[in-house]
Amino acid sequence: MTRALVLYAHPCDDSFAAALHQNVVQTLTDRGWDVDDCDLYKEGFDPVLSDAGRRGYHEEPSNIEPVKDYVERLRACDALILCFPVWNFGYPAILKGFFDRIFLPGVSFKLIDGKVVPNLTHIKKLAAITTYGGTRVRATLAGDPPRMSVKRAVWHVTRPTKMRYLALYDMNRATEAKRAAYIAKVRKEMKDL
Amino acid sequence: MRALVVYCHPRKTSFTGAVRDVVVQKLEGVGADVRVLDLYARGFDPVLTAAEHEGYEACPDNCAPVESDVADIRWCDALIFIYPTWWYGLPAVLKGWLDRVFLPDVAFLMPDGENTTIRPGLQHITRLGVFTTCGASWWLTQFVGAPGKRTILRGIGVLCAKPVKKVFAAHYLMDSSTDKSRKKHLTRVAGKMDRLVGVPQRQAGPV
Repeated sequence: MTRALVLYAHPCDDSFAAALHQNVVQTLTDRGWDVDDCDLYKEGFDPVLSDAGRRGYHEEPSNIEPVKDYVERLRACDALILCFPVWNFGYPAILKGFFDRIFLPGVSFKLIDGKVVPNLTHIKKLAAITTYGGTRVRATLAGDPPRMSVKRAVWHVTRPTKMRYLALYDMNRATEAKRAAYIAKVRKEMKDL
Repeated sequence: MRALVVYCHPRKTSFTGAVRDVVVQKLEGVGADVRVLDLYARGFDPVLTAAEHEGYEACPDNCAPVESDVADIRWCDALIFIYPTWWYGLPAVLKGWLDRVFLPDVAFLMPDGENTTIRPGLQHITRLGVFTTCGASWWLTQFVGAPGKRTILRGIGVLCAKPVKKVFAAHYLMDSSTDKSRKKHLTRVAGKMDRLVGVPQRQAGPV
């Protein structure tokens, strides 16, 4: 059975992001996947890499001790699904901190002769479901940092056989119909992932 | 010149701290008023709360939780970020500072009856600087598209004055850095600062 880790980052239950999250979890569960639903806000995840955390960052394996549970959840999954809004052309801080603190040396990558070698290759499927306040043109002019981060940086350490980056741009002006169409698209993509 | 330096590193003895010292020294050298925000030392909480999200567009109450930061942003005409690049991007603490402080009516103006799109709100800022360190190589950073650099130089750059003067310097492959490479980088930072803020005018002495 495929085990999916869903990383969800939005503070409000009545947000569009919450609706997307709910549809993602539902669709994956319906197709028989074992879903580990990680709601970073609800779990009170602390995104701040501390002084001690930074000092011990490269010390394997003791670097994982403060965040062992999250590391185990990441190691146990075959599919990684990121569900978040884009804020200021980046991940919400709570999700950015997940990368800072959990995607450690010895977890997400190994440094061999100074080179980054991918170490999450058990993750065969990678998907991001997101929304932008700005238009696609504005995001592209800014280099679309979150798209690049998922499709290049996270891809680099996971090397999935299937990857999807789903985005609804220009959220502030999206009509009901446009939002509903996006939810339908997300459901279909999650069914086919 | 009024310069706001946003500094983000957990360790007091880090190389990033040495970069900050060069930057502040250069600013003081040209007689700028300088404010330094040390986000870790302050224990800045980067997590935008549900209450803040609900009141996000309710100006001016949306500024209340981060009032002093908003005042600093409105005060400055030069904005400089100094941080280590983690996971090709900003440390969560710095990313959260943007999430919580770059609010509607501060960093940008939301669409209204007359305007259909988001408009820039930082047009008083004429100078923008980014100084960082990267564990990855230059090549790997380019492959990933340098998301941290772009979040600031392009994402924030577009909100600033037109034109805005921008400088950027990074020390790559930080984990295999040497005394020599670090020293060279500090010299580079000093040179970039001269470009950003100018060099002190020599006082004309009596003839």
